[in-house]
Amino acid sequence: MTMAELRTNAGMWDELVDEHGTPRPAATALVEQLELLGTVEMQQRQDLAELDIVGMGITFTVYSDGRGIDRAWPFDIVPRVIGADEWRRTEDGLKQRLRALNMFIDDIYHDQHVVADGVFPIELLEHSVNFRPQCRGASPKFGVWAHICGSDLVRDADGTMYVLEDNLRVPSGVSYMLENRAISKRAFADLFGQQSILPVDGYTDELKRMLASLAPDGIDDPTVVVLTPGIYNSAYFEHSFLAQRMGAALVEGADLVVGDDDCVYMRTIGGRERVDVVYRRIDDMFLDPESFRPDSALGVPGLMRAWRAGNVAIANAPGAGVADDKVVYAWVPDLIRYYLREEPLLANVPTYRCLYPEERKYVIDHIDELVIKPANESGGYGLLIGDRATRAEIDEAIANIEADPRNWVAQPILSLSTVPTMCDGELEPRHVDLRPFILSGVNQYVTAGGLTRVALRRGSLVVNSSQGGGSKDTWIVED
Amino acid sequence: MLLSRVADNLYWGARYMERADDTARVVRTFTEVLLDLPVGVASSWEPLLAVAGSRELFDEGHARTNESDIVRFLVADESNPGSVVSSVASARENLRTTREVLPREAWQAVNDLYLYTQRDSESGVDRRTRARFLSRVIGESQRLDGVVSGAMHRDEAYELWRLGQMVERADMTTRVLGVRAAALLAAPDTVDDYDEVQWMGVLRSLSAMQMYQRATRGPIVGAGVVSFLLFDRQFPRSVAGCLERARAALLRLPRPDRTLPAVDALDRLLAGLPASADDGKALDAAMDDVQAALGNLNVAVYDTFVRAAE
Repeated sequence: MTMAELRTNAGMWDELVDEHGTPRPAATALVEQLELLGTVEMQQRQDLAELDIVGMGITFTVYSDGRGIDRAWPFDIVPRVIGADEWRRTEDGLKQRLRALNMFIDDIYHDQHVVADGVFPIELLEHSVNFRPQCRGASPKFGVWAHICGSDLVRDADGTMYVLEDNLRVPSGVSYMLENRAISKRAFADLFGQQSILPVDGYTDELKRMLASLAPDGIDDPTVVVLTPGIYNSAYFEHSFLAQRMGAALVEGADLVVGDDDCVYMRTIGGRERVDVVYRRIDDMFLDPESFRPDSALGVPGLMRAWRAGNVAIANAPGAGVADDKVVYAWVPDLIRYYLREEPLLANVPTYRCLYPEERKYVIDHIDELVIKPANESGGYGLLIGDRATRAEIDEAIANIEADPRNWVAQPILSLSTVPTMCDGELEPRHVDLRPFILSGVNQYVTAGGLTRVALRRGSLVVNSSQGGGSKDTWIVED
Repeated sequence: MLLSRVADNLYWGARYMERADDTARVVRTFTEVLLDLPVGVASSWEPLLAVAGSRELFDEGHARTNESDIVRFLVADESNPGSVVSSVASARENLRTTREVLPREAWQAVNDLYLYTQRDSESGVDRRTRARFLSRVIGESQRLDGVVSGAMHRDEAYELWRLGQMVERADMTTRVLGVRAAALLAAPDTVDDYDEVQWMGVLRSLSAMQMYQRATRGPIVGAGVVSFLLFDRQFPRSVAGCLERARAALLRLPRPDRTLPAVDALDRLLAGLPASADDGKALDAAMDDVQAALGNLNVAVYDTFVRAAE
């Protein structure tokens, strides 16, 4: 495809150009630049960007034969552009969503008014794999449990932006958002000079401020640490990156110890030192072998005890994942109305809950028009896209649904929007999603844009980097 | 304050980088010196194995001791943990977990060097390209040192880095001297004719030639070289100079009362050494003693900074 042939294909929405090939308003300067440069020059810039990535050591880890292998972060230099007006509306919608989700989590672990008032069915909790009875009655500061959220947004063929899911446990990707910007500034230095592209660099500072605000009362200069499962975790690069940017210690479970006073300490060259805030990048079940999985070697024995005693803050709070269950997702619009008495500003994708016989029957009857998702997996594993699956895959999915209906939900197949992407020296449309990050403490903060993930294989809708996805810089442009 | 685990990794990261750098210098110099010696003068590559302290490991896997086998073993062999390519990989592995305390460019320098040595280590074996490969390793290591010097906050992480570097460097200096001593022992007659060339080799492999000449203004003789490399505090690769910097680092780290006795012991040991090159046996034994005392310092560092917080 040449530059002149860039346009939105039938039944799709392209983020840079419309169906006539006219640039969308916020993307005008970029599309002109792409045409000026031509594909040969673009490919050279792409190659340079890839060299930068290797040189800067920007990696993620994939697993193969039980071994972790560092791969260079896959990046495409053509950015995704969103107008600032649309973004401000999206930002408001995300903040609204997180306010309601945090109120929901706090309610669930206390009096469960939402259940008593008949808005949320209690049986969902009884089967939830992310509900943690150990967290009942805990009261994290400001009533906030999900301090860091990565919500996945997609745009359908008619241009509507939908929230696809909220990641409230240990969402990753924000470091790549920041690195992508650093690389794309080199590739398109001229454009950054000419127009107002909102900066993304403030994130780590906001994160640090928010984490510090969570410290137990009376501590002036709190010690914040980032807790990582270690170097073999696929997001280790990010853990290290964030610790570095915040000037926080990057700790592993074995670096921490809970004392007889129920306070958390880290082992330093000067002896034990008190820790006030733990930004954990370890799943709940591995956090504390005394409270969760007893065989976990990644966590810190006694950490939950220290947290419940109010001697340490944990972000995200243990148990926050109860609200990122794909079944709970279906209730989010109701939760917004219930807790905030507001209409949702951002659309939810219609979601069929296999738990309910009627909805389950609909799913099985219309399986070739639906995306089937496990209710609790992340990383795209177990996903089935009905119109692309083989008969055998469909039969297996139906068997899985009938065996454990609560664990499955289904949604209509959205046609994810596209962005032109460098593919072997040519620009071709590839599907994208967008993961903005929302911080919640006393105040809320949303990244300017987020991480745009792109499915590099032609026609593919799977954007996860563990399964052949890449990424792009995201520009919020003042129009 | 710095995590014990990170401290351990930094210390060893610095040691491995220094080891890669030192090994590259020694191999590069040895190649140059052997080329200067006339054909017919016994020119064995075996002393290189002794410098690297890896004679036994080499013998396990090799029947012959020719140039390319030995150089490959010391430069490019991944199964030899002390080879240049393994040392760089170990440095990278250690520093991977310390990225948040090092300047960002420091990690990039280590990573660049790692990628280069993984790709091109075979060119360090071939005589025609060997100097270029080894010089690149030394250059990148200097770049890293420059980043650390120029951009790193003088905090505990910095002091541990320096400490590791100085301990490793002192160790290498004693090894180079020890091997020269052993060569004197092995063949006192044949080497005598080329005594000056051999001692020049010792100086060169520690990048000390030019500074020796500026500092001493004298001829290149054994006693002068030994004295310079052991006692001249102003030379950064002398044992005394390394110990002085190690002491300064320990003073800025917690609980020096637990670590300094090991440096005091080294200083006393050094003070009792004669600056003589005539008695190969005595020099060889003295270098063994210094290495053992450096081992004690290593243990004190581990006990104080890593084990004490357990």
